[in-house]
Amino acid sequence: MVNFEYNNEEKTIKVIFSGRLDYLAAGELNEIIQSEPIMKNRQPDDTLIFDIGGVDYIASSFIRICVIHAKQSGSQRFSIINCQPFVKKTFKISGLDEILNIS
Amino acid sequence: MSENLLEIADEILEKAQLAAAEFHQLDQKQTDRIVEAVFKAGFNNRVKLAKMAYEETGMGVWEHKVIKNVLGTQLVYESIKNEKTVGVISYNSLTGIAEIAQPLGPILAVIPVTNPTSTVMFKILICLKSRNPIIVSSHRGAAKSCAEAVRICYEAALGAGAPEDCIQMISSGSREFTQIMMAHPKIALILATGGTGLVKAAYSSGNPAIGVGPGNVPVFIDESADIPFAVSNIISSKTFDNGTICASEQAIVVVDSIKLQVKAEFERQNCYFLNNEEAAEVEKVAIVPETGRMSAQIVGQSVATIARLADIKVPDGTKILMVMPGGIGREFPLSGEVLAPILAFYSAKDYDAAINYCIDLNYLGGIGHSACIYSNNEKRIMEYAELLNAGRILVNTPTSQGAVGYLFNALPPSLTLGCGTGGKNITTENITARNLLNIQRVCRRKPSEMWSNFDQSKYFDESQTADEITRDYYKNH
Repeated sequence: MVNFEYNNEEKTIKVIFSGRLDYLAAGELNEIIQSEPIMKNRQPDDTLIFDIGGVDYIASSFIRICVIHAKQSGSQRFSIINCQPFVKKTFKISGLDEILNIS
Repeated sequence: MSENLLEIADEILEKAQLAAAEFHQLDQKQTDRIVEAVFKAGFNNRVKLAKMAYEETGMGVWEHKVIKNVLGTQLVYESIKNEKTVGVISYNSLTGIAEIAQPLGPILAVIPVTNPTSTVMFKILICLKSRNPIIVSSHRGAAKSCAEAVRICYEAALGAGAPEDCIQMISSGSREFTQIMMAHPKIALILATGGTGLVKAAYSSGNPAIGVGPGNVPVFIDESADIPFAVSNIISSKTFDNGTICASEQAIVVVDSIKLQVKAEFERQNCYFLNNEEAAEVEKVAIVPETGRMSAQIVGQSVATIARLADIKVPDGTKILMVMPGGIGREFPLSGEVLAPILAFYSAKDYDAAINYCIDLNYLGGIGHSACIYSNNEKRIMEYAELLNAGRILVNTPTSQGAVGYLFNALPPSLTLGCGTGGKNITTENITARNLLNIQRVCRRKPSEMWSNFDQSKYFDESQTADEITRDYYKNH
């Protein structure tokens, strides 16, 4: 459901999600992200990237997780990549796509 | 607020209300006779009015304005002539519901500079068909041609027995007066076709309004598309009246595997891909830097004029200036709406990425308007339709001529295209006469058998669950 990759050269943390991120899954994810050592050791200049290429459904609770991390990171250090069109549309409908820096 | 302007507005609305009172008494035959007379008068003046509009506005192509006038008269008339708009318009014996059409009252019709005489005649026809007096408020840049269209239609209407003052025109000019008119308590509806600011003003007036939204129409050419056919259609649409229709194509999106093929086809059909320097010069004249929106000086202008303004050389006979903005968003101004023969071109690594480009374009100021796909893959067509937020998803169709209806599909012919709540409108429909009626529903007594037979005392028993109640409710049915 979630994997973490740290790129020391680029100073990026890539969080790779997959599957259906419904209400229950999003709740679990939040705990996993919080307890992940890479996340705990994150430096202020590290960029956080959510790769959701393998995600085919997102609950509003997952969007909230994205917003929290975007706010904590600042818009220059947070982005969401590889959205499937259906998921991209969902972000657009939420009206939060610009804050979340979706590419 | 000027008292004088208020008095003028009162006077206009008083006349309109008297016209409404008289109009209300006309039957379907009398109404149809008026509509037919106005159609014929407008149609017979299609060329003269097109030339006047072209000369006055300096926008578009007069021959194309003739076609727009044909749409606004003949095709609109064809679509509404047999429609019932007076009295009982339907009765359903199964439900026992009869529908009665009632007029709304005075309608303020705001007319854009891009499609002036055609929109005037279109709005007059649908207002008269629904027995509503109309007050035309034209853009100041098209006041003379609109006034002439109003005069022609009004004389024809009077000759066919229409009430006096059923068509009026307010002299364009002050924004203050337009706002007074919009907010006047005797206005029944504002039919607002124009820019975002105008439509917002209409919706903020306190009176009901039907508005339109801006477009930023993405066109996805799928790998299964007939590419020469697609390109030819796109060119005929984007060059139509030099791109003044808000449903005209704004960006072409393809996947990398067919990029060169599509690009070569555009070039073969006399479109010119600007290099970065040329594109930068065009952007300077096409976009107002402060707002990031298109500049009025290039709206409806020819390729030659735009090239001259931008001081660039393009091959003779170039039909469209193709640009590759490199991205989508405010930082790429040519990715937004430009009502001129300038067309953005994007290529994506795969299908999903291409659709994401289309979604981004769609949400960059064109929500709810129109989108287009060229494809022979039914699954992809329906996927595209699901993913784009557009009132009209046009399939293998030129968007300018397709979105306005009738010519390429069964949409009602219209020069007011609803864009739904995404475009801050109440509907996604192509607006026509039926949108200008209050429909009363006469509901004959047809008691629900299930409701009558059900023991309603069970509703007061808190132990009864939804499942139990539902089971009993449908028992023996």
